[in-house]
Amino acid sequence: MEIVIALFFSTLRQAAPLLLTSLGGLFSERSGVVNIALEGMILFGAAAAAITVNRIEVATGGLEAFWIPWVGLLAGATVGGLVGLVHAVASIKYRADQIVSGTAINIAALGAPSIVLQVLYNNTSTSKEVQNRLPNVDLGPSSVSILVILAFLLVPVVWWVLFKTPWGLRLRAVGEHPEAAETMGVNVIRMRYTAVILSGVLAGIAGAYLSIGFLNQFIRAMSAGAGFIALAALIFGKWHPFGVLGATLLFGFAQALAIQLQGGDILPATIVQALPFILTMLVLAGFIGRSRPPAAVGKPYDK
Amino acid sequence: MSRYWFLMVGGLVLLIMILAPWAVPLREFDGTGYLLNPLGVMNPKGLTLPEGLTFNWLGVAFGLWILLLLAASAALFVPNAETRARVLYILGGIGIAIFAIEALLFYQAINTLNDAAVAAGARRPPLRRFALSLGIYAGFFYSLGLLLLARMQLPGGLAFLVRFRGVVVPIVSLLLAVVIGAVVVAILRPGLGTQGVEGLGLRELIAGKLDLVTYTFQILFSPILNVTGIFTSLGFATPLIFTGLAVAFGFRAGMFNIGAPGQLTMGALFAMLAGVYLPLPGWLLLPVAIAAAALGGALWGGIVGWLKARFGANEVINTIMMNYIAASVLLFMIAANEYRFFGQTVRLPFKAEGFEGRSEEMQEGARIPLMINIIAPNGTFSWALPLAVIASLGVYYALRRLDLGRRLLFSLGALVLGFVVGGFLPGFPVTISSALASQLLNGSFLIAVLALLFYNFYLFRTSAGYELRATGLAPKAAEYAGVNLRRKMILAMVISGALAGLAATHYVLGAGMDGTYRLKTAIPSSVGFDGIAVALMGQNMPLGIFLSATLFGVLLAGGVSLNAQLGISNQIIQVLQALIILFIAVGGLLPRYFTDPLRAAQVETEAKAEQEARQAKSAPAAGD
Repeated sequence: MEIVIALFFSTLRQAAPLLLTSLGGLFSERSGVVNIALEGMILFGAAAAAITVNRIEVATGGLEAFWIPWVGLLAGATVGGLVGLVHAVASIKYRADQIVSGTAINIAALGAPSIVLQVLYNNTSTSKEVQNRLPNVDLGPSSVSILVILAFLLVPVVWWVLFKTPWGLRLRAVGEHPEAAETMGVNVIRMRYTAVILSGVLAGIAGAYLSIGFLNQFIRAMSAGAGFIALAALIFGKWHPFGVLGATLLFGFAQALAIQLQGGDILPATIVQALPFILTMLVLAGFIGRSRPPAAVGKPYDK
Repeated sequence: MSRYWFLMVGGLVLLIMILAPWAVPLREFDGTGYLLNPLGVMNPKGLTLPEGLTFNWLGVAFGLWILLLLAASAALFVPNAETRARVLYILGGIGIAIFAIEALLFYQAINTLNDAAVAAGARRPPLRRFALSLGIYAGFFYSLGLLLLARMQLPGGLAFLVRFRGVVVPIVSLLLAVVIGAVVVAILRPGLGTQGVEGLGLRELIAGKLDLVTYTFQILFSPILNVTGIFTSLGFATPLIFTGLAVAFGFRAGMFNIGAPGQLTMGALFAMLAGVYLPLPGWLLLPVAIAAAALGGALWGGIVGWLKARFGANEVINTIMMNYIAASVLLFMIAANEYRFFGQTVRLPFKAEGFEGRSEEMQEGARIPLMINIIAPNGTFSWALPLAVIASLGVYYALRRLDLGRRLLFSLGALVLGFVVGGFLPGFPVTISSALASQLLNGSFLIAVLALLFYNFYLFRTSAGYELRATGLAPKAAEYAGVNLRRKMILAMVISGALAGLAATHYVLGAGMDGTYRLKTAIPSSVGFDGIAVALMGQNMPLGIFLSATLFGVLLAGGVSLNAQLGISNQIIQVLQALIILFIAVGGLLPRYFTDPLRAAQVETEAKAEQEARQAKSAPAAGD
């Protein structure tokens, strides 16, 4: 029983960053922009949050205050949004290949934090540990970060925004048939910018969760593929908020299981860790139901 | 409008000349330098130059540059285009001549003094790490710009630029990336020699920053200046050539292969299995191990190709997924010996003793020798390699009459024959420094060159390659022309994967990772991503891929000394790569007639029409 509860909470903790990122990616891809840069956005957000909190602590002489981690979170979200802006400008304004642009951001995210870390901490792979972590919420047997709760609350919100508001309708129209949407008076370019920046903000928050919510420092490449798993969850969840919720829970469970199985005697952790990726490939091949992307995804829009 | 832009550039160049150091005759190991500038020496740390060293000519040179800048600015407003072009050509030529004289004077002064000191018995030359600096380079680049501008004044100038957009876009992207990298470095680090010194003026502070930026890139590009550096660079470039070819091959066939990291990993795993465990004689083992590396990558790419052909599954997502699966497989194989499956213990033999995740050592026969041992085994220069190259090239060009297949076969035969015969010829002894002997450039560089040749021949000289390129350019049209798209997709991913897998020969069979003939869990599989930068920068052309891989190799080699000397993380190379990819993706921020093939063609057509009109106008006059 204890193991089940531990596994349950571990699943929630593992799923939360995937869920946040995936919901962000949902906006971007529904608007017609492939966002393969999610991985990089998480890393930039994580680095920004951890470094900001640490700098505030240094500047205030090790102060512990409730507002510090929130400033860190804001920094993570802002930097994530800025990275989103870069992706948006490249792929919307300059009609760059969206996958190339995303890949560039991912490569930059592996290198850029190291340069800052070396200057600030004289080491290229980790930041200083921070005292001010994001607060945890007590849930009886265990506690989870407040961002975990936020991530799960966000699912119905995103569903409502996407499927029950005019803005959501326009966003989906832009991703399915931008010319038709433009004819109906929707500003396709602005919709896409908003969606891509929003996906960067959410991925940046997911990164902040990793560095100052889940852990208390930034570690190089700490996302360990979370951005790509989130992308996979997007496909697995058929570009729908509730589908995404299910997929991230499944992937989060696989990761939680892999952690629990470390040193156990059922399955080796390395094999369980590969499961989300294999599942996604099966979905893509159509063995577990077909998944159809928005029609205009990946195509630059030309007025 | 563009006229005023160029005036602004002239102003910027003048500003750089006033603020930046022109040359650095002496530099400490930590980077602090003695900065020369025509308006006065900047030397915050108080370094002393040896007596008798003067650089009075700097003032004269500065005067000349100001005259040149003024003349060029005035020349822009000459009404007749041809006169304008002629004046700009002359000014550009003069500028380059001034630059050459400056370089000559500087190095002559330094070398004379150093030689004299060494002759007088000094233990080492008194002036070290001397180099020209930003102020003088600015003039040089301005002169180049003048020459280009002159060409632009003549008819067809724009079409000339557009025709070379395959080179213009990567170069502009590289320059933009360098500028942003420079800004990042300047923001993050204090200027060289200005830290901890009080009472410095703004001019010294700016000069320190500009010196830092210049020195950073001088270090990054420094490996090309000596043989050891070139060997190191080519060593870093070898896997990049393979992964660059892999990505480019995918691009050519219309597939985006982001799976090179996974294909590399599987290639490494297969190469390890063959190289460690196959009980084959030595002469057979090495080719089999190399083929195994290709096979591993081909398998990993082929699965994705098959999934796309059979189920229409997007190759981008699938290759990413396969990267992670490959990483898991690698960990599973060599990170531990023992696993528990449902209570059953399974033992794997692949991990070697010790705490580190690494395989057993390769058998002797499966090891690719170091390049230096191929060129000069046992300290004696061997004719094997040069003779093999000459023989095969000679045969290839001599048999121009034959069809391609036979021609290649004969030149391959000549290659082997040349290698064997050359191996028996007596060479002459050469001295190899220990620094050179320890470089990790190994024989897989030759395999990389062969892969480049294969890429060139297959894609551009065979009908199968033609079909593949047609598939990439216009799949529908290719299909109507009778190309089997599905088969092409699988084939493209198989070959692309095989090329990426071959990168493992450098790391595993050639000990290119750290000098040990083992596969380690720490194999740098992310080199597969760097292949994207190489392919984009090389514009998917064989020569382009070789040059851009070498460029990144040089930067990677320079990054090591950058880290050692200035404490700037060599991750800056990765950021530069990312920026280059980004800038190439957005077409170097150039106007759309550069990036859009249709509009580029339009520019050329217009230029041709204009030229014909001019000829028609001048023809009657000539006929009179």
